[in-house]
Amino acid sequence: MRVYQVPTHTRLWLVITIIACSLPQLLRGHLWQAGLVVLVMVIRSLADRQRIQLPGKAIRGLLMVGVVGITWITFGRIYGPEAGVALLVSLFSLKYLEVVRQRDAYVVIVLGYFVCATALLFERGPGMFAYVLLCMLLLTTCLIGINHSDTGARPMGHVRRAVAMSLQAVPVMLVLFVLVPRVAPLWNMKIDSGQARTGMSDSMSPGEISELSQSSELAFRVAFDGAIPEKGERYWRGLTLSHFDGRTWQQAIPRGVDKQAYLFQKGGPEPEWHKSLMAQDRGSGYRYQVIMEPTQRTWLFAMKVPVLEQGEAGLARDMRLVASRPISESVGYTVTSYPNLSSAIGLERSDRALMLSLPEDQNVGRRARGLAQQWQLDSSTDADVVKQALRHFREKPFYYTLKPPPLPVDPIDEFLFVTRRGFCEHYASSFTFMMRAAGIPARVVVGYQGGEPNELGSHLLVRQYDAHAWSEVWLEGKGWVRVDPTGAVAPERIEDGLRAALSGNGEDSNVLEGLRSFASSGLLGKLQQWTDYVDFQWQTWVLGYNSQSQMQLLRQLLGSTSPLSIALALFGAITLLLGLYMLVLLRQDRGYRQTPMEREFWRLHQRVAERQGAPLDPGLTPQQLANTIAARWPGAAKPAREWALQYQQALYNPAVLADKRRIRHLRRLRNRLYKLLG
Amino acid sequence: MQALTKALGEVAKVVLGKEDQLKLALTCLMANGHLLIEDLPGMGKTTLAHALARVFQLEYRRVQFTSDMLPADILGVSVFNPNTQDFTLREGPVFTQLLLADEINRATPKTQGALLEAMEERQVTLDGVTRPLPRPFFVVATQNPSDQAGTFVLPESQLDRFLMRISLGYPAPEVELALLAGGDLREQARSLKPVISSDGLVKLSGMVDKVRASHELLDYVQRLMDATRTDDRFVAGLSPRAGLGLLKAARAWALISGRDYAVPEDIQAVWAAVAEHRLSARQGGSVSAMTQSLLQSVPVVRR
Repeated sequence: MRVYQVPTHTRLWLVITIIACSLPQLLRGHLWQAGLVVLVMVIRSLADRQRIQLPGKAIRGLLMVGVVGITWITFGRIYGPEAGVALLVSLFSLKYLEVVRQRDAYVVIVLGYFVCATALLFERGPGMFAYVLLCMLLLTTCLIGINHSDTGARPMGHVRRAVAMSLQAVPVMLVLFVLVPRVAPLWNMKIDSGQARTGMSDSMSPGEISELSQSSELAFRVAFDGAIPEKGERYWRGLTLSHFDGRTWQQAIPRGVDKQAYLFQKGGPEPEWHKSLMAQDRGSGYRYQVIMEPTQRTWLFAMKVPVLEQGEAGLARDMRLVASRPISESVGYTVTSYPNLSSAIGLERSDRALMLSLPEDQNVGRRARGLAQQWQLDSSTDADVVKQALRHFREKPFYYTLKPPPLPVDPIDEFLFVTRRGFCEHYASSFTFMMRAAGIPARVVVGYQGGEPNELGSHLLVRQYDAHAWSEVWLEGKGWVRVDPTGAVAPERIEDGLRAALSGNGEDSNVLEGLRSFASSGLLGKLQQWTDYVDFQWQTWVLGYNSQSQMQLLRQLLGSTSPLSIALALFGAITLLLGLYMLVLLRQDRGYRQTPMEREFWRLHQRVAERQGAPLDPGLTPQQLANTIAARWPGAAKPAREWALQYQQALYNPAVLADKRRIRHLRRLRNRLYKLLG
Repeated sequence: MQALTKALGEVAKVVLGKEDQLKLALTCLMANGHLLIEDLPGMGKTTLAHALARVFQLEYRRVQFTSDMLPADILGVSVFNPNTQDFTLREGPVFTQLLLADEINRATPKTQGALLEAMEERQVTLDGVTRPLPRPFFVVATQNPSDQAGTFVLPESQLDRFLMRISLGYPAPEVELALLAGGDLREQARSLKPVISSDGLVKLSGMVDKVRASHELLDYVQRLMDATRTDDRFVAGLSPRAGLGLLKAARAWALISGRDYAVPEDIQAVWAAVAEHRLSARQGGSVSAMTQSLLQSVPVVRR
């Protein structure tokens, strides 16, 4: 028989802890991993009951080779975050088969701290963070547990101690979090978070945005420093699309324009257009922080005209922000948008050519071209043409719907003159087409419009169903002007959002239900708002604490960000904390805590002294205290003597336990005495 | 326990109206300690010693201490025996179970020291030969507090050897009346019925050690000890031996009171008898009152 040096009471905790640490991976990963953990636990519990022998070296070796093999088959490799973590978790559970001595348990527990932290590679929300903390608490409990023999072990006491130890570690954790310099990862781990994200693509063809609009997934959150602009003003620009092939709008850069000059990066050479933009009088702006969900794309969303204050991105000449690499995890950036800042930075010849370009084939949108040319002849200015077009959308029977009929041949003409039912992309697309046909430079802008405030955090939630497309036209003297033809057809879309615009339109009620953001009222709604609020704060303060914001904070705190001052602050803060703990420990060592029994005596002592109006000797024995009561309040003699007897028994007779029941009994007697003492 | 009560009753027949002192004396015997009785002559000290010896069937001797006494007068002496051409030991009066040392403060320090050493070691070394004293072995010493002329006051270090000091004091009026009417009490003491054998007394002493004292009680004893040491009215505080003696006496008191565990009342009951003679006041005043005041000021229950 083997001698198990891991105490019995800890074994259950170890099992729970191992499962808890592996759980995030098991839920995310493949079924065989969960199977393996179950297999290990079954083998182990049978072995603990002496039904079978623990597997020997050969079987364990086979299992290990098997696990490596399966990992290879499943992932095609055994390194990289996904495969690596899968392998780690599997080997972690296998390790439990080997735990016999205390040393083995140490290995498993220390490994466990690492394993549970790997969950944060894939998910970094406050929920996962709390879960990892819970795992660490369990691990610490086990660590305490294996150091206690079975006699007199109280597992709940170990939990309490683990909680106390963890709480003591929290200040140190905060200091390390704030002060330890953040460095960019040495390599960029590409982690496939397992689910394909919905979001904007870099082109727009009919049906694309309306499909996106059926998702209520979060696109980004915005926290304004001051007032939130009107809903009708909240156009979050993402991309401008300038090339149209008759069906699809695409991003394009004017021929002959240098890519370097098109995009201004902070620190890079400043192109002419940026200089002239900055030279203008800006007027007042909206300052806000955007926390974006990962999109795997480089474009960022902001209102016009964005000036980046914090974050890593450049400004493109079409007044949109472009990140330096694809957004693969939540990212935050701070922007001030100046709506009055004109983007009239000149329209060069190559620009104009691109913004007026239409498909070569004159048959594409032939009727639309004709209508636009008619308007051009009727109007004196470009602005009049725009007005005419909007009037056309307003007065002809156009419908705004999520389920437009298919437009198989010529999307522009079919939509404008046959079906007249469409979503924002149809309106933006056909409007821009007609503007170009009328000789007005125009482009399609895709992004989001609106966003819903969370009452708790006063931040804005922009979801996928807020996706929108609109147009910008170049008006001489004014520059690029936003025109939203959808607003002419369905003003509710702009003012009240998609749901309002679609209800009463005969739309599928299931679809409408999916567009709800927060349950409109009641507990569930509140709960959702709270969850969102916590999540947002987490994103802002914890995940958003990057090297840039760290340097800013340190500059404020320390006045300098030299390595020496950071090192001193780190060392000083931790020394201070340890000193504080030491002080508390020293104080605790000197003083003592009154036991419940001692409190019991002194409470009665004090009450009697108060009631008789004269101090009592501290040297009274319980019996003498009872006699004092009996002498002054003869009516209380009996309960007083009973109290004294019980008390004396509990405190001095080792055969009598001073347990909770007895203390309760004493307290009851004392309360009765209080009444008798008046 | 009944035997103890009966023994007390027997002794009370000859030492009238002094139940508390009797109980203390009995406690002292059971705690295996020596007793110092401080009283004026004729208060019944000798009668008490007699009665105790009788009731517990102890072998009893009495020595009247005088200033010309030598250690040999107590311990014994080696005498040359011409027949065997050898020295044989003639045992002194100390070889007994209960020794009444009357007016111990009359003897010279040398003689006192010899006795006190025997009391502590419970053995006597003569001419290099160590001889154990009988078991049990008790010394009941008396001294006269008022008559100081020609006496050698026992030093504190030696007073510490006595577990307790008691004084009997004058009898109450009605007791004195009964005393006057009853005749010679010392005579009566000789006719008291034995209640417990000396072996029984040894067994009882063994039971004293089994009386339980909880941690809280030990804590109280420690607080009392500490109080004598921090109180600057006393020249010096109580020794650890005094603390052990206090606890032992309290245990014996608890046993006499019919309990198998000690309570603070037991400590308080023996406190004065155990502590007073070991303490001396720095600036005069009544040591007795000071010692007693500690009982009032030291918390029984830790606060």
